[in-house]
Amino acid sequence: MSKPYGYLALFESAPAVYHAARSVREAGFKKWDVFTPFPIHGMDGAMGLHRSKVPAFTLIGGIIGFATGMLTAWYMGQFDYPLIVGGKPFFSPIFPFPVAYELTILLAAFGTIGGMFITNRLPMHYHPVMNYDKFRHLTDDKFAVVIESGDELFSEAATREFLESLHPAEIAVINDEEEE
Amino acid sequence: MSTSSDVISPSGSAAADRGSGNKSFLFLIVGLVLIALSAIGLFTGSETDPARPFVGWILGISFWLSILIGMLFLTMIWWMFDAGWSVIIRRQLEHAVGAFPYLALIFLPLVLLSVLSGDKTGIPWIWMNSDAIVPGGHGTVAHDVLYQSKAGYLGQGFFIVRYVLYFGVWTTLALLFRRWSFNMDRTGDHSNVHRSRKLAAAGLFLCAFATTFAAIDWFKSLNYHWFSTMYGVWFFAACMRAGLSATVLTLFYMAGREDGLKGIIKPAHFYLMGCIMLAFTVFWAYISFSQYFLIYNANIPEETFWYNMRELNADGSKNSWWWVSMGLIFLHFFVPFLYLLWYRNKFAARLRFIAIWILTFHLLDLYWNIVPQKLAEDSHGHYMIRPFGISWVDVTMFLGVGAIVIWSFLKSAARERPIPIRDPRIEESINCHE
Repeated sequence: MSKPYGYLALFESAPAVYHAARSVREAGFKKWDVFTPFPIHGMDGAMGLHRSKVPAFTLIGGIIGFATGMLTAWYMGQFDYPLIVGGKPFFSPIFPFPVAYELTILLAAFGTIGGMFITNRLPMHYHPVMNYDKFRHLTDDKFAVVIESGDELFSEAATREFLESLHPAEIAVINDEEEE
Repeated sequence: MSTSSDVISPSGSAAADRGSGNKSFLFLIVGLVLIALSAIGLFTGSETDPARPFVGWILGISFWLSILIGMLFLTMIWWMFDAGWSVIIRRQLEHAVGAFPYLALIFLPLVLLSVLSGDKTGIPWIWMNSDAIVPGGHGTVAHDVLYQSKAGYLGQGFFIVRYVLYFGVWTTLALLFRRWSFNMDRTGDHSNVHRSRKLAAAGLFLCAFATTFAAIDWFKSLNYHWFSTMYGVWFFAACMRAGLSATVLTLFYMAGREDGLKGIIKPAHFYLMGCIMLAFTVFWAYISFSQYFLIYNANIPEETFWYNMRELNADGSKNSWWWVSMGLIFLHFFVPFLYLLWYRNKFAARLRFIAIWILTFHLLDLYWNIVPQKLAEDSHGHYMIRPFGISWVDVTMFLGVGAIVIWSFLKSAARERPIPIRDPRIEESINCHE
């Protein structure tokens, strides 16, 4: 049998999984994750996660949108089709502002959605944890910590023993079927 | 909703022995002395520009009034949305808005002086003086077509009535919200919450009307030729920015007081305040720019002159207001906007820095909106534009009214509890997180 994807420890309550997550972080694991049916406040801190990188995508999208709006108006008014409208100059940053502003919002929103897909590696139609027989409970009333076998500190006996020390409801081996 | 949700024992922080009475009394004395000094300036006038001390008086009050109006709006918005996280912050606003009646008193001399005085050369609201020469026009105010058309609104009797109405609305709302919230501390009666929410629903409309028309009466009518439908919204946005920044500074002060919010207030409260500050920074820019944009595009002389005054002298050369205008665009919008976009800047000393920054440029925004006026030099249409400058009355009024507002806050904070201990959402607020 090939190497498993990882070990899963099942917990009955949010506080239990919260404390387990802290212990896993303190033990120094890097490739692991927590599965909960709803967001748990403070879980990011307990897992030691850094802040999301999505705002950077939003900002870049916004800047591109603003520049696109201004450059379009500048190119059209100054070179492509110069036309005097209402006695105004061919280009000024004032009158095309609504165009640039709306494009800022539009592309910032696209940047946010795109950034969310990229950082979450979406779309993801398959994940090895789906092979777990109680997977449905993870979207309803149970909580789980999964330590992947790809982690440097992972060893079949020691990791199982470590998870036992967290007092989970059960421990399961997760296999990655696609690799079989 | 249950009627007993006491999270904190009422005996925990006994209101009786909360003493900072002497310090607050000092603020009252300093405030009165500085306002008396300003009054000397108001009555002796200024030779080169007789109306300038009067304008300084308007500036000094407007700065603090805008803060209190912003705080009153914020209180009502939080009641309307039944906000949980903000309950401990709301109490600081309740302490602050108790100063409305004092501001009404400080404003009163302006109303009396402008209506009663025989020689109106020192009054910047030149529409009150039918003999005044219209700057850049022909003849006097009484013969001015634009004044004649607007005379139904811009009448002195109606002006006094409106002054009473504005301060009546602000004061009544502020005092009712205070009374009901303090009453809940003592009795734990949650009907105070329902009453407050109902009043906030009506109060938002009343306060919006009062604020809009006050801005039209006191600031916009300084150049009564002008038309703009966005002016009231500009003032609302400015009030919100000033109110939020002042609230943040108040929170920092109270967070350092043992009998204040020490150990109660959390970084999350400051972060959420920073988020609203960012939102209203964008809103202020949106409104201010839209007003400029519409007038720029329409290009009608009755509207554009107002912006031209803030850029050019009568002979077409650049004047001092051009620099102020640029300062507002870059330092009152771009700097706070980009600064507050960053997550880490919404905490601790970094948030305090930007709050002080915004308040400073809010004052400059008020200068920019209030001070520039065309001053007639002769009856042939020659005029000059009042340049940017800080007169000593501006300084004494700014500090004097500020001392009165701080005195009123400390007085209230010494008498009532630092947090509404029996508010049904107090637990939610104390455990606030992102």
